[in-house]
Amino acid sequence: MSEIKLIITGTPGAGKTTAIGAISETPPVKTDTATTDDLASVKEVTTVAMDFGEITLDDGQKVFIYGTPGQRRFEFMWKILVEGGLGLIILVDCSREDPLADLDMYLENFADFIERTSVVIGVTRRDLSETPSLDDFYERIEGWGRVFPVMEIDVREAEDVSLLVNALISSLEFTTA
Amino acid sequence: MNQVNITEGGRQFCEDVFDTMMEKSHAVYGVLISTVDGHDVISRFKRELPSAKLAAMMSSMLALGETIAREAKQEQCQYVIVENSDGYILTLKLKDKLVLSVIASTEANLGILHNISRTAADKLAKSLK
Repeated sequence: MSEIKLIITGTPGAGKTTAIGAISETPPVKTDTATTDDLASVKEVTTVAMDFGEITLDDGQKVFIYGTPGQRRFEFMWKILVEGGLGLIILVDCSREDPLADLDMYLENFADFIERTSVVIGVTRRDLSETPSLDDFYERIEGWGRVFPVMEIDVREAEDVSLLVNALISSLEFTTA
Repeated sequence: MNQVNITEGGRQFCEDVFDTMMEKSHAVYGVLISTVDGHDVISRFKRELPSAKLAAMMSSMLALGETIAREAKQEQCQYVIVENSDGYILTLKLKDKLVLSVIASTEANLGILHNISRTAADKLAKSLK
């Protein structure tokens, strides 16, 4: 049975580790360490290498999910983690100052990977901010000449995260069909 | 923004420790203190090396070492050692939130390097708050 490797990326605090923890069938592998910078006011720990979790689809196919560190200084890990990856989930934290600029940053930095794979966007922390609208996200993505699904999700809810993963897998099937 | 600040006295103390390490083994050509979340704090390199990038990488490497040890049902990872064709990179935790990394050429004896690094880490840990 083949295995699918998916990557979750996004800003620090967007919920990558939580999302993997919400759906992984095995205890998620984490590389959290104490935050020593401004981020400490938002979260006590941050991922510095990778997160890992796994799920099994209804047809028995294994899906391995790798979470990246969010900070740009860990860009080298992004390049390592996308090796062999088939799809990318970008989590965008709406409570941050400029979520659309955050999205641009990840679309730019993962451009090579995105060029050859599928992407879905998960909009998080909607309870803290109603903007930007989903239309704003779609418009921004169109500016990149691409069309990706955009979904509002609560990363703590397994159902929401599963929806995101399934959307990505469906788009992979569509792309490779 | 890095919130780990080091006083001028602390910086001098660290540099003295780095000098001692390099005197004890001439194979040592780089010493770096960074935070566990990947910010460089202070370094001494005899060759041009990217301290900010190395700081981030050392934090990833140490965290992975600790995580792999846990997955293998082992605890308290003390060192991560990278041995390669050009030498050694030894990384160890320094107190709760700092990482000490030592970079040495192939001329280094791994046992001596290990000892120098441990001694330096103990000395730094006693003095750094």
